[in-house]
Amino acid sequence: MEQTNTLCQDGKSEGGVLAHLERLETGVSRSHKQCEELQGAQAVGSALATKIHKLRCLRDKLRAEVKQRQARVKTSIASVEPDQTVKISEQEVLERKQENVKAILQAYRFTGLSGKLTSRGVCVCISTAFEGNLLDSYFVDLVIQKPLQIYHHSVPVFIPLEEIAAKYLQSDIQHFLFSLCEYLNAYSGRKYQADQLQSEFAAFLAGPLQRNSLCNLLSFTYKVDPRGEGFPFCARLLYKDLTVTLPTDVVITYQGTEALSTSWEEQRASHEILFRTKPLHQVFASFAKTGEMLDMSLVY
Amino acid sequence: MDETVAEFIKRTILKIPMSQMTTILKAWEFLSENQLQTVNFRQRKESVVQHLVELCEEKHASLNDAALLDIIYTQVHRHQKMWDVFQMSKGPGEDVDPFDMKQFKSSFKKVLQRALKNVTVSFRDTEENAVWIRIAWGTQYTKPNQYKPTYVVYYSQTPYAFTSLSTLKSNIPLLGQALKIASKHQEIVKMDLRSRYLDSLKAIVFKQYNQNFETHNPTTPLQERSVGLHVNMDSRIIHENAMEKERVQRITQETFGDYPQPQIEFAQYKLETKFKNGSILAEREEPLRCLIKFSSPHLLEALKSLAPAGMCRIPKLFCSSGSYSQGNSYLYHLYFPLLPDNPRC
Repeated sequence: MEQTNTLCQDGKSEGGVLAHLERLETGVSRSHKQCEELQGAQAVGSALATKIHKLRCLRDKLRAEVKQRQARVKTSIASVEPDQTVKISEQEVLERKQENVKAILQAYRFTGLSGKLTSRGVCVCISTAFEGNLLDSYFVDLVIQKPLQIYHHSVPVFIPLEEIAAKYLQSDIQHFLFSLCEYLNAYSGRKYQADQLQSEFAAFLAGPLQRNSLCNLLSFTYKVDPRGEGFPFCARLLYKDLTVTLPTDVVITYQGTEALSTSWEEQRASHEILFRTKPLHQVFASFAKTGEMLDMSLVY
Repeated sequence: MDETVAEFIKRTILKIPMSQMTTILKAWEFLSENQLQTVNFRQRKESVVQHLVELCEEKHASLNDAALLDIIYTQVHRHQKMWDVFQMSKGPGEDVDPFDMKQFKSSFKKVLQRALKNVTVSFRDTEENAVWIRIAWGTQYTKPNQYKPTYVVYYSQTPYAFTSLSTLKSNIPLLGQALKIASKHQEIVKMDLRSRYLDSLKAIVFKQYNQNFETHNPTTPLQERSVGLHVNMDSRIIHENAMEKERVQRITQETFGDYPQPQIEFAQYKLETKFKNGSILAEREEPLRCLIKFSSPHLLEALKSLAPAGMCRIPKLFCSSGSYSQGNSYLYHLYFPLLPDNPRC
């Protein structure tokens, strides 16, 4: 008991010193902490202060710029005189450029081969023409992947697209496109000639024009002079090569049992050469012209 | 004029509705203008028909003339027949044939006449480089039955022929043979496409549908393009899946295009697929094989409305439509992505 008392007493007195020491220690550490915190806060505060300063400067700069632009616009409006061109703003310049580019892209189809990028690849447009007349357009939609594939197309079924693709699509796409262009342009050209014959020069035909889908075999009976009594000739034009617009073989026969007189025989032979060298509708146009000349000579 | 021919002409003319009588007779070009003017078309139909048959007698109409009239009637009423499609193929490396219509016709007729003594074959050219063929079948001992003819429509230099078969199954191989030989092809198979609408079959097979190509020259203003499924939305209503709906509409439009679909009623194809991973049948070696049949009064319009109606998922990737290297099943290639669950065919 006494021990505890002495301990207690000692404890009390020691507790007093120790406790005092402890108190002093915690006080020191607390004040250290407070110091650090204060320093930290000061640092943050000064950082924020610099930031605020920067932002204020930026704001002032922007305000000044806005004021300047407004002043510029005002002066430009104010200084417009009737004989001075209006200053075009940058946006208008860009818009004009964009429209220009759009127009070029649209006009590109007149080159015969144009295209547009799609989400899958590219859609190629082949615009066919013959002798300066723009004819049908055909499309091939390609998917860009390995292997290259045709997604869909508007090429007529009788054009040998599969064969051309099998030969060139994977190895040389340029060759593929040019080859397809050749076939389609030739087909369009032949079709155009046959259509012209049927519509413009129907008077020269003695019967219907026999044709096939590719327009590469045409047979018809015609007279050089639609009103005259001349002999009707039967013509058979074969375009063996699908990439040409002039026939490879021309056979002109005469319907009848009697032998032709030499003049008619000469004409028959010359017609064979004519059909092989000039487009169909032009041959008939020349027939029409000689007919007119004959008419004129009859008048006088 | 033969009695059978007279009867045949009478029955054919009786089929023609009065409103189309003069047009069809004019297209026939057998009776002259003067003769037609002598007919009083306001009488009762039986009297008109009687008068017309008498006029045909005067002109000595042949079986061929009568067959021609039948072809014209069928051309006008093509929807009354059910059309199938045959596909032909050439051997490898063969050149495109410079098709001679005269040669085709004589070759076709010869093949049929050599096999069947009794057969009537008639032709009528159309403007689009096509020919309508009418075949009345007989046997070695019986005369051709004029009332159950087969019609074939063939476009020159194409590998397709459209037929309305109304004959014994035994005649079909012979018809295929004749078509093959006359058009200079090696093989012929019947496709799985059938419809009353010849023009729709043509559009599908010649790929004349969906001419929706991206160019820098837009031909239709944006407002006109619509799939017809607009909902007048109140701005206070927020559509949760508006973006998804837009995507579905856009893909549907890209697949089907903006205009009416070819009209087909029936399509079928074979399907071979494995089961999904995770299902109890996933480890099965043997794939599932089945035959899927679609039928509808207007199949393609029905398919077109599936996705916007929310009845199937649309995957982001597409199968190529009508890929040139594949032979059959254009329908599959085109509309395949819209089927629920992407099976492999």
